[in-house]
Amino acid sequence: MKIFSESHKTVFVVDHCPYMAESCRQHVEFDMLVKNRTQGIIPLAPISKSLWTCSVESSMEYCRIMYDIFPFKKLVNFIVSDSGAHVLNSWTQEDQNLQELMAALAAVGPPNPRADPECCSILHGLVAAVETLCKITEYQHEARTLLMENAERVGNRGRIICITNAKSDSHVRMLEDCVQETIHEHNKLAANSDHLMQIQKCELVLIHTYPVGEDSLVSDRPKKELSPVLTSEVHSVRAGRHLATKLNILVQQHFDLASTTITNIPMKEEQHANTSANYDVELLHHKDAHVDFLKSGDNHLSGSSREGSFKETITLKWCTPRTNNIVFSSISELHYCTGAYRISPVDVNSRPSSCLTNFLLNGRSVLLEQPRKSGSKVISHMLSSHGGEIFLHVLSSSRSILEDPPSISEGCGGRVTDYRITDFGEFMRENRLTPFLDPRYKIDGNLEIPLERAKDQLEKHTRYWPMIISQTTIFNMQAVVPLASVIVKESLTEEDVLNCQKTIYNLVDMERKNDPLPISTVGTRGKGPKRDEQYRIMWNELETLVRAHINNSEKHQRVLECLMACRSKPPEEEERKKRGRKREDKEDKSEKAVKDYEQEKSWQDSERLKGILERGKEELAEAEIIKDSPDSPEPPNKKPLVEMDETPPVEKSKGPVSLLSLWSNRINTANSRKHQEFAGRLNSVNNRAELYQHLKEENGMETTENGKASRQ
Amino acid sequence: MDDYDKTCLESALVGVCNIVQQEWGGAIPCQVVLVTDGCLGIGRGSLRHSLATHSQRSESNRFPLPFPFPSKLYIMCMANLEELQSTDSLDCLERLIDLNNGEGQIFTIDGPLCLKNVQSMFGKLIDLAYTPFHAVLKCGHLTADVQVFPRPEPFVIDEEIDPIPKVINTDLEIVGFIDIADISSPPVLSRHLVLPIALNKEGDEVGTGITDDNEDENSANQIAGKIPNFCVLLHGSLKVEGMVAIVQLGPEWHGMLYSQADSKKKSNLMMSLFEPGPEPLPWLGKMAQLGPISDAKENPYGEDDNKSPFPLQPKNKRSYAQNVTVWIKPSGLQTDVQKILRNARKLPEKTQTFYKELNRLRKAALAFGFLDLLKGVADMLERECTLLPDTAHPDAAFQLTHAAQQLKLASTGTSEYAGYDHNITPLQTDFSGSSAERM
Repeated sequence: MKIFSESHKTVFVVDHCPYMAESCRQHVEFDMLVKNRTQGIIPLAPISKSLWTCSVESSMEYCRIMYDIFPFKKLVNFIVSDSGAHVLNSWTQEDQNLQELMAALAAVGPPNPRADPECCSILHGLVAAVETLCKITEYQHEARTLLMENAERVGNRGRIICITNAKSDSHVRMLEDCVQETIHEHNKLAANSDHLMQIQKCELVLIHTYPVGEDSLVSDRPKKELSPVLTSEVHSVRAGRHLATKLNILVQQHFDLASTTITNIPMKEEQHANTSANYDVELLHHKDAHVDFLKSGDNHLSGSSREGSFKETITLKWCTPRTNNIVFSSISELHYCTGAYRISPVDVNSRPSSCLTNFLLNGRSVLLEQPRKSGSKVISHMLSSHGGEIFLHVLSSSRSILEDPPSISEGCGGRVTDYRITDFGEFMRENRLTPFLDPRYKIDGNLEIPLERAKDQLEKHTRYWPMIISQTTIFNMQAVVPLASVIVKESLTEEDVLNCQKTIYNLVDMERKNDPLPISTVGTRGKGPKRDEQYRIMWNELETLVRAHINNSEKHQRVLECLMACRSKPPEEEERKKRGRKREDKEDKSEKAVKDYEQEKSWQDSERLKGILERGKEELAEAEIIKDSPDSPEPPNKKPLVEMDETPPVEKSKGPVSLLSLWSNRINTANSRKHQEFAGRLNSVNNRAELYQHLKEENGMETTENGKASRQ
Repeated sequence: MDDYDKTCLESALVGVCNIVQQEWGGAIPCQVVLVTDGCLGIGRGSLRHSLATHSQRSESNRFPLPFPFPSKLYIMCMANLEELQSTDSLDCLERLIDLNNGEGQIFTIDGPLCLKNVQSMFGKLIDLAYTPFHAVLKCGHLTADVQVFPRPEPFVIDEEIDPIPKVINTDLEIVGFIDIADISSPPVLSRHLVLPIALNKEGDEVGTGITDDNEDENSANQIAGKIPNFCVLLHGSLKVEGMVAIVQLGPEWHGMLYSQADSKKKSNLMMSLFEPGPEPLPWLGKMAQLGPISDAKENPYGEDDNKSPFPLQPKNKRSYAQNVTVWIKPSGLQTDVQKILRNARKLPEKTQTFYKELNRLRKAALAFGFLDLLKGVADMLERECTLLPDTAHPDAAFQLTHAAQQLKLASTGTSEYAGYDHNITPLQTDFSGSSAERM
């Protein structure tokens, strides 16, 4: 699990000297004549690749597999060596892709067979490789910066893969010595540098390649420690496909890869569209995808290892997805997946491979079955693509430790039946996440973290959120939705405010018309609360909701002001209403009295409404007018303080100013206009006024001390 | 497991090893409790013998330790320390723990062997290994006290860079929601039941520090089942909507909450832990960069909920998604040449595809320094030109000759014609205007 192991940095050093232009002596037929056209035409002579071409395409294949499976944090630096070293790319992540490398290689071109062999050497490349290993990668830099004083934990290891044509074993030894010495020198340099790192460990992989049919002048040698820093191994490989096979084996060793063969893939025949045959496709991936097989020692699965090859492959059977349901079943289900590993097809361009990968890239998933000796079916893996990348998912196929758990309905809160499931579903959809790739900045210039914004939003949206239907009135009312959906926002537009006000007027109107409210009667005997009591409950709840947000912005406060203005009633009216109700009860609910009362009330209401509407218009016209000007309707201040305590504790505001203090301040300013302020308070310092100041003038200092002692 | 009449700890451990692997595989952490009187057996099969031969094992009779699954080995000795120390028993048992990579502990009895002291020894084990994990699940102001079962294990990200094991917070803070289709079967370290608990009932166990919400306090005396609980609400909505809640477990550590159905009737709130790190799931991108949809210019899920911002597309396509050229097997090369040839025979209709394939081959040949191929294909196109039937469109001959000539120029390798980014473009002929329209 180390990021900075040897495979963090790989340097390819490929020989570009004249002898690499030599043919690998393995012929490729490229002019495959299609039947019916063969008469009288002699196919063009086969061609053969040069040692250089073989080396380059094998190393590109190594990189292709590596980039497919480890698109990040595994880096390649490509160096070509002839009369000097040509470094084709850097460690930066942008340089890490096949296209860049291919373009750079095209610029270098094939070796010139007529160049002076004396001037050319692989040594230039090896020296440059050591040099480049000392250079810090962006990942190393990032880790070092993050670890600060523990920066030395960040390792610097690497691997040099050198493809050359050596003359003899002693020539190989000379190359090794050179690397050894260069490391020694460069480590000295790096010790005194801030942007270079000493090489702690270097793995040198020397590949001697030679034309097919020739005898090798160099012998293979397994990995050997040349010094505590340097290990070296020598591979003597014939060019052509042998070299490609070797590098394929090496990439698997270097990056802990394993192979899985998907078998029984049904595919339409190219020639006969109606018939289908079964194909196999071999994929490479990190070996952890086989962790269950490895640990249980279930070796019979890997019986299909290919002869003469190091490689073993595990066979998994394609499970044809149930028809119609292919897409649906795969996405709506959440599989218990213990690992997901990127894959790379071994034979990327073959028809079976591209059929499989295209099938997956189109968004479909395939379950894979592990053949067992017993014949029982076990689904152990799943192939699935995510955003153009294919992953092999490991599904848990063993027994769950969470068997037969108690159902959620048996636990706390399980017997409550009126949760606001749909509303919370709506809430969840509003609080879905989305990626923000471009950095955003807050007003203070600091970087804004989108996830913190998401938490903030959840905090706002839940300030008042009753969990069950019978706990709420306003959230059961369609009429409240326009207000409830916007009041939770961080800031409101003028239109939002207007909508909130309209909602409130609408409610006033409902109250005037005496429309029924969806008040829960659960747990109450009889018909439940009276209509006006219902409205009182509703207004209280609405107030609680709006109050929870008045700190968000000045516009939120305006909504509250509107709400308070609308719901507040002159005390005489309240009184009369109460008396009226009593009388009403006494007089056996005289219909007439109610009607009279209603009429009177509705007139009052409509008068008030007019005023409010006019005010709303004014506000729109001059949006930033100060609200407490004497011209505007009196701010509501009739709410007794007891009401404040009734508001539920959901209003814990996070800001430095508490809701209570904010509200009291408002009340105080409003009240202060109605009376002359006490002289003592006016002259007070920190709300402390010195009493009996005249005594001080008369008696000097002493009383002040007395005053202090008596704590005023 | 059968019982035997002889102390043979090794075969007992082998038995445990097999059972656990058969039942739960190699990934589930398991606590193995070995109860012993401290006697190690005699002769073959005794622990002394097992340990003495430990270094001479082959793969077939491997010593069962370390267990091939994440494990803790607790050895409960029905003997006190002095008794054990009088022989080498304790050393041997300690070897066992060492062999299990130090994962585990030995318990001995304090004082004389009696029921009370044995109970207290097991009490210690329970405290160490079986204390429930209590946490507070939070979604803004909505909260619930929960027990997370099994206990989440500490996790080491990189033993070199970051050797300190990470433990999850006792505040599990929901940060937002994602559709199941978008999270799409993510890999997880472990999964856990999230069980709502009544605070005051188990108040003793809950301890201090997590009782900071007083919302439930006055109602806790009522029956827990009838008190609305956030877990139940969350579970219900997650299930109905087919969504998961993303939950923050610690700095740069996240997980997901979802509804898991055990059967048609039973379902539960589950939590799965992602691997710690800034980007546990490549298709979601960096976790810190996920924000509320209301901050986006337009709703990324569409007005009709018909699209999604996920999965995130990587900057570079993988080889299988970008039509790379690989000629390691002759068949790869032959297919590419055939493609050119097939299109060549359908000129001028296939002019665009012909040149596209031609340029692909040209690029690869230049990168691989395989100039002979360019010459060969040029020859082939010239031959095709001579084989054109009389009925062929005159433009075909022009295009073939032009393409062959261009390839020959590229095969000289001189920079003028062999530029990697240079593309061979169709020859502009008197016919090409009309042929272009036909494409």
